[in-house]
Amino acid sequence: MRLAKNLARYFSVAAVLAVVLLPMYWIVISSFKTLPELTSPTPTFWPRTFTVEHYVRLFQQVPFVTYFLNSVYVALASTAITLVLASLAAYSLYRCRYRARHLLYRAFISIYIFPRVLLLIPLYVLFTRMGVIDTLLALIIVNVTVVAPFSIWMLRAFFTAVPLDLEDAAMVDGASRLQVLVRIFLPLSAPGLAAVALNSFLMSWTEYLFAVAFIISDGHKTLPVGMAHFLQQYFIDWGLLMSSSVLIAIPPIVLFGLAGRWFIKGLTAGAVR
Amino acid sequence: MLAWVFLTLIYPLLDTARLSLMNVGYVGTPGTFVGADNYVRVLGTGEFWRSVRVSLIWTVLNVTLQFLLALIAALVLNQEFRGRHIVRNWIILPWLFPSIVLATMGKWVLDPTLGVVNYLLRAAGLVRAPISFLGSPGLALYAVTAVNVWRWFPFFTVIILAALQTIPKELGESADIDGAGYLARLWYVELPSISEVLKMVVLLASLWAINIFDAIWLLTRGGPMYATTTLTILIYYKGFQEYRISLAATLSMVMFLLLLIYGLSYLRRAVREEVATLA
Repeated sequence: MRLAKNLARYFSVAAVLAVVLLPMYWIVISSFKTLPELTSPTPTFWPRTFTVEHYVRLFQQVPFVTYFLNSVYVALASTAITLVLASLAAYSLYRCRYRARHLLYRAFISIYIFPRVLLLIPLYVLFTRMGVIDTLLALIIVNVTVVAPFSIWMLRAFFTAVPLDLEDAAMVDGASRLQVLVRIFLPLSAPGLAAVALNSFLMSWTEYLFAVAFIISDGHKTLPVGMAHFLQQYFIDWGLLMSSSVLIAIPPIVLFGLAGRWFIKGLTAGAVR
Repeated sequence: MLAWVFLTLIYPLLDTARLSLMNVGYVGTPGTFVGADNYVRVLGTGEFWRSVRVSLIWTVLNVTLQFLLALIAALVLNQEFRGRHIVRNWIILPWLFPSIVLATMGKWVLDPTLGVVNYLLRAAGLVRAPISFLGSPGLALYAVTAVNVWRWFPFFTVIILAALQTIPKELGESADIDGAGYLARLWYVELPSISEVLKMVVLLASLWAINIFDAIWLLTRGGPMYATTTLTILIYYKGFQEYRISLAATLSMVMFLLLLIYGLSYLRRAVREEVATLA
């Protein structure tokens, strides 16, 4: 009886893992297959011969490095700006008392839930007028706008955990609000900041809608947009798609490995109270 | 911060409203005021209503499947097993990837000639001729849904899992002592204790499903025969493929109003329930 229960338990966990992992396994092994094996109608479940030719071609035949660097630049800049704006706003919302504070908080949250596609047309018009269309700056502005509300929400659990006494003591000693934020709040809520940073990096790294609509020149394309071009050609270059899919997935995995548990905590602390 | 919100959210909405009353084509070209013409045109064509229908089916399918799968996966992972801490965090993996990875994967496994799904179906003797999942109007919406659900359900699994872990162990144990079976325990103890979180998951999942652009666009471009053209796809198509910005703005306004009605009715129900529990 106990054995049967244990078997059922591990079998069910294995089933969930299989659903999540098998498609990824398929991409990874496909990226190492030679072209004839890759495009044979009878798929092999383990590569007969391993090759890195598709990875080498990424660097030789397509501007993969340019796309990659653009993506890194946009993601890092968006993350940095989001961190500054979100911690200022979160401090103000959770620790300063003024009218309409709660209303403002609600408004931020509703923005996050709001469909982004509704911003597509007006922002396109606005950016054209401002002359930033087709630049990476446009993407950074959009990313910060989209990510900031959720970041504020994530910081809530971490900021409200800072004891009020500490803040009061600092104020008595003559520290300004900004000093309190920088010297006390930020160090104490470092895990929260890590969670916010990971979230904004991920969001910017995966952003596609605005990147495809706002960027025209090849030199400014981010990785997802540059790759989409391979997918939508008449003859799809599967080899390049497989290898770039693997490479594009590595930065999120590494960063999640570093800050993942704080991210999960920030995500669920707000949701489960 | 407020200035930022104004510049990137409030101003754009007002600008959309303005554009929707004009006849601008390319961005930057001047237009003239045309009043409600665009609205009449949008509401009077089958194109719009077809997209509303596709959006509805897409949203209901996605929310239902994501919700059920997330709940099942959360219940499974909530058990005690070795390595549970690692698995519970890393289950979110599919959500971390850009949708281009998702689209590549979807197109690759569902490909009629090279795809492993067709290969397995044929090997099992279930079908004779290969099926073009993404290429046939009757199947495309379901195929894209399957791919999209794969990406999103782990995200909600993490949230439901966190909620499940806040349930005190004694609650389940006392149910066990009373002789409740697994399903009875689930129905009377676990689900009611996390009902608030489950409601939030449904609200988020539905709003995000309506919002999905990249997975659909990359897999089918709204085709074949408009079978996967949701409102989101239609707005992008009008604005950036046909270069009819005003029409796209009108669609945005109509979609905004529809969602507002949905959001408000959801809020009103939540408020009413709150009042009911107080009384």
